[in-house]
Amino acid sequence: MGNLRDVLSPFTAWKHLIETPVTIRNPIGREAADGYRGFHQNDIEKCIGCGSCEVICQNAAIDMVPVSAPVDGDSGLRPKIDYGRCCWCALCVDVCMTGSLTMSNEYTWVDADPDAFRFIPGVDPKPWDDMEKGYRREGARVLTGAERVEMGELPPEARIDNFDEIVVGYTREQAMIEADRCVECGLCVATCPAHMDIPDYIAAIREGDYDLGLQILYETNPFSEVCGRVCTHKCETACAARHEGDPIAIRWLKRHIVDNVSEDRRLEIVGTPQALPTGRKVAIVGAGPAGLTAAYDLARQGHAVTVYEAQDKPGGMMRYGIPEYRLPYDALDRDIAVIAAQGVTIKTGVRIGREIAMDKLRGEFDAVVLSIGLHIGRSTRIPGTEGPGVEAAIDLLARITAGEEVPVPERVVVIGGGNVAMDIARSMARLQKRKHGAVGVTVTALEDFAHFLADREEIEESFDEGIEIVDARGPQEVVRYKSGKRKGAVKGLRTWAVTSIFDGQGRFAPQYDQGDERLHPADMVVEAIGQAADVSILGEDLTEALEWTRGRLAVDPAGRSSEPWLWAAGDAVHGPDVITAVADGHRVAASVGAMLMAMGEVAR
Amino acid sequence: MMRDLHDHLKTRYRLGDLAERRANLAFVDVARADLRALLVELRDVHGFTHLSLLTAVDWIEEGRFQLTYLMNNRTANRSLGLRVFLDRADPVGDTIHDLWPTAATYQRELREMFGIAFPGSPRVDEEFILEGWTDMPPYRRDFDTLAYSQQTFSDREGRETHDPRAHMAKKLNPEGQR
Repeated sequence: MGNLRDVLSPFTAWKHLIETPVTIRNPIGREAADGYRGFHQNDIEKCIGCGSCEVICQNAAIDMVPVSAPVDGDSGLRPKIDYGRCCWCALCVDVCMTGSLTMSNEYTWVDADPDAFRFIPGVDPKPWDDMEKGYRREGARVLTGAERVEMGELPPEARIDNFDEIVVGYTREQAMIEADRCVECGLCVATCPAHMDIPDYIAAIREGDYDLGLQILYETNPFSEVCGRVCTHKCETACAARHEGDPIAIRWLKRHIVDNVSEDRRLEIVGTPQALPTGRKVAIVGAGPAGLTAAYDLARQGHAVTVYEAQDKPGGMMRYGIPEYRLPYDALDRDIAVIAAQGVTIKTGVRIGREIAMDKLRGEFDAVVLSIGLHIGRSTRIPGTEGPGVEAAIDLLARITAGEEVPVPERVVVIGGGNVAMDIARSMARLQKRKHGAVGVTVTALEDFAHFLADREEIEESFDEGIEIVDARGPQEVVRYKSGKRKGAVKGLRTWAVTSIFDGQGRFAPQYDQGDERLHPADMVVEAIGQAADVSILGEDLTEALEWTRGRLAVDPAGRSSEPWLWAAGDAVHGPDVITAVADGHRVAASVGAMLMAMGEVAR
Repeated sequence: MMRDLHDHLKTRYRLGDLAERRANLAFVDVARADLRALLVELRDVHGFTHLSLLTAVDWIEEGRFQLTYLMNNRTANRSLGLRVFLDRADPVGDTIHDLWPTAATYQRELREMFGIAFPGSPRVDEEFILEGWTDMPPYRRDFDTLAYSQQTFSDREGRETHDPRAHMAKKLNPEGQR
């Protein structure tokens, strides 16, 4: 039977001769299937020019070409596709970090010029730009993980009565998974004030080469252990991964590298200055991140560097501002030890302007770098701030670090909504828990939660620790007892609701709803609304001679003041964080180094 | 149902655990020596008359190839995938073209794309879709598609690309300062 069918079947096909053909006489113009992979579309507003499409393309069909000026988190480049090479596999669509790149279902196009088939989708207009049909990735990207590996933390109940470090750090397995999410586009590098080689050190983690990772960190940042803990991580706001998921935990990965290299090994890898001593001497005033970074660079150039520090220990705001639960002192000490190992002399407990005059430094050194930070707490100067029971956050934090006794009443109100406000609120909460067994801290901030200045995790962790945060409240008066046994003592903080903070011109001019008044009960009020530099150390003559801009010492882009022997760096001139101070330290060191080299040339 | 079948078969064949992907789709590892007998029993006794596909996976890290025989029971609307592992250094599979003639085509494809030999399979060494191919079988994971593409096809004149990081450094930080 089977054989007979084989013989007859060619003839049975003849019956189709009289049917309408299923083939199309002219296929040009026929629409492809809905999900067809045709010519690309790119939403160039959404595209960030990370180049992942170019990297994944197995046919080298994609070039990244300049279309607009780069800004934070957007290279300004856009993919230009050569359809002579494209095989329409759509890996570029699948890997796209923002979902901007898609494919239309248009696939027919005739042109005699082969170069017409090289164009920038979304920039060079094409008829299929707005087509709805075509290949779209289903759901979010999956080729690179969208979710960040969660960081282990001490739970609130385990941390509230002590200053133990909260963040646990990644294990190697966790770090590997997190590092694996990075596409190494490098958009983050421009955003980092110190332009750290972020993709390179993340790649080192992936390779398991921690020595290499540490070496890369030190090329741009001698405070990587500190920054691995407390950096404001602006890089993460420029991360390509944030568009359809969590940004890479760049800060935690940096910390992970340092955590995995012993202190001895660190000293071996970083080594000591290779340059011959130049005989030039530099004085640095203030052993914070800017001053010590400058010291590190200058010492490695062969200059003799002496750092003067008013406090008993070096570190500046990293030690006396940032609480220990965020940055343990031994972590800071390890970073500083590497810097000291470069032959940097750090003289602590010496206050320039008191023990040694600036003039004397000028006479004894070839250059002086001023990196004095912002250590004077500003006051709101509202009624009642004069007198006992009102403190500056920055003073309290320094006294806590120094191990001094600070007042720990049962109820504390903090004025301010920045990270310093959170630091003092959380430090006081810990001391209260120890002394009274309960937390009684209220933070009042001008800003509402949508515009809060402190980092989101600081706010969340503060809530977890039982701290009350009241947003959009403007302080009006520190109310004091008018009579009785506690006469003159702080009774609380009177506030009004804030309706707006800035005026039409963007100037600071808070407006209040006076009908919405509250008294936040307190035995102590802490002001955390900003700090100023103690420029009194300069002395009258120098202050007079120097140029100033809006109360800050004026410096050129290299950090040099109007006096040719004096540079300034760090919070006192730029701000606002450790990594900016590190960047500033490098900048100033380069400028000072260039001047010292020039001096050497002249002498020769 | 798949589980019952698995329980029934594993007394006589060397099978791995049943990996159930859906109610009507499951996979199981099989010892290479047991493959042929199992395929015949599934076809003739258990209604898996259709060979839906035969394909391979390159587990390069483990040094082996996986062959997947996807069998379908049309009446019961069920599929069972049998997985057999071959040494990647000497990849030789056993031909089943006599059980399903279509297998010869799959085996010819696997020979070409993965370099897996199927001695005795009809026309197995003839070119399948790659004409004049001289490189490593292209579905092997150590085949560098990009490098092959770059060697084989020349770029059009005037192509130029920019690394995002270097481009941003040049534009935003021309001094190269840290």
